[in-house]
Amino acid sequence: MKIKSAIAILFAGFIATSFTLRLSDQKPWPVPDAAKNKKNTVANNAESVAAGKVLWNTHCKSCHGGKGLGDGTKAAQLKTEPGDFSKATFQSQTDGSIFYKLSEGRDDMPAFKKKIADEDDRWSLVNFIRSLKK
Amino acid sequence: MKNYKKYLLIPLVTTLLLMFTIGNSFAQDSTTAPAPKKIKPVKNTFGSAWLMDNQTVMVPIKGTLEFDIQHRFGTVNNAQKDLFGIFAPSNIRLGISYSPLSKLYVGVGLTKERMQIDLNAKYALLQQTPGKMPISVTLFANVVMDPRNKSNFRNDVDRFSYFSQLIIARKITERISVQVAPDFSWFNNVEAYVDSKGVIQKKMNNGHFAISMMGRYKFTQKSAFVIGYDQPLTQHPTNNPHPNICFGFETTTSSHAFQVFAGNYAGIVPQSNNVYNQNDYTKSQYVIGFNITRLWNF
Repeated sequence: MKIKSAIAILFAGFIATSFTLRLSDQKPWPVPDAAKNKKNTVANNAESVAAGKVLWNTHCKSCHGGKGLGDGTKAAQLKTEPGDFSKATFQSQTDGSIFYKLSEGRDDMPAFKKKIADEDDRWSLVNFIRSLKK
Repeated sequence: MKNYKKYLLIPLVTTLLLMFTIGNSFAQDSTTAPAPKKIKPVKNTFGSAWLMDNQTVMVPIKGTLEFDIQHRFGTVNNAQKDLFGIFAPSNIRLGISYSPLSKLYVGVGLTKERMQIDLNAKYALLQQTPGKMPISVTLFANVVMDPRNKSNFRNDVDRFSYFSQLIIARKITERISVQVAPDFSWFNNVEAYVDSKGVIQKKMNNGHFAISMMGRYKFTQKSAFVIGYDQPLTQHPTNNPHPNICFGFETTTSSHAFQVFAGNYAGIVPQSNNVYNQNDYTKSQYVIGFNITRLWNF
């Protein structure tokens, strides 16, 4: 009986950790130094953030959620966790790193350098993403 | 026909006033370009290259591939007998378009009605730019082949029809866009009859002028109400086409545009709609339709 209980606990623990691990499993996303240090060419002002919000609602919201918490309507279908953009761990990245990641994409994350061809628009998106910080 | 022309003046004048007067006070708000130092053309005047039964001024960015699925059901008049036309015979167009160069869009489509094959091209002549250009102007043209059995045609050239349209639009604010588009349709072959004197008389002219007006009001950043009106201008000997009133809803995503609407045009090929529409709005002869576009960027 003790063995059965131990197996049940181990099994439950395995199931629980497998979901937990999946959600927190985000492999490192290396950003080239040149991209990391790239300067934001668009001033972070209300106009830019508003422009970025329009782009966010069109291209990003369905996965990342309205507030960047990673809770968009499509998030559950993704193989990779979309991340919580309100957290300091995400916000500690440079503008250049965020710009690089949204431009180039990876796995489930599409590359937006062609769909949002104007670099200034992508910088505005970075500026909006900065506004998601809690 | 004369009555229609009277009614045409009201929306036409209203649209032009909106484009050239009211719009000026909002001109600086009408771009999504964020950098105040760099003045760039206005983006997303409309949500898609199509808006209900017409092309919009929009030409997607270079490298965009678009797949269109367009559907027009039967007229709503039979009510529950055919679920307001949804279960009636429908018209469908499948199309694909690509932007090989900046400002240029080329496409091909196949329509269920007579299996018409269309080749089309669109070029952005002018782009609305704050402080520089108040409007966007795009030229659209197509050539359509009717591939039915040759017994339907005396000569091979009779299979062809053409359509050209000068599309003039303005994004007045982030929420409101309007468009006016005069157009010309040409059918190489039109029906005729032999009169009592034995002379062949045309039922309709080969050429046909018309004008289209459309508007969009975005009530969220992705969803909008859309309206449109198409007015025939050419007077034909018989079978004069009826105007088209259309209205509906549009929502866009990163890669799609969805439009659901009602209108009088049962066709999808523009010259067929403009020349042959016999659905009369005064008799509530509307059809429900939808357009779905899917975009890829290469």
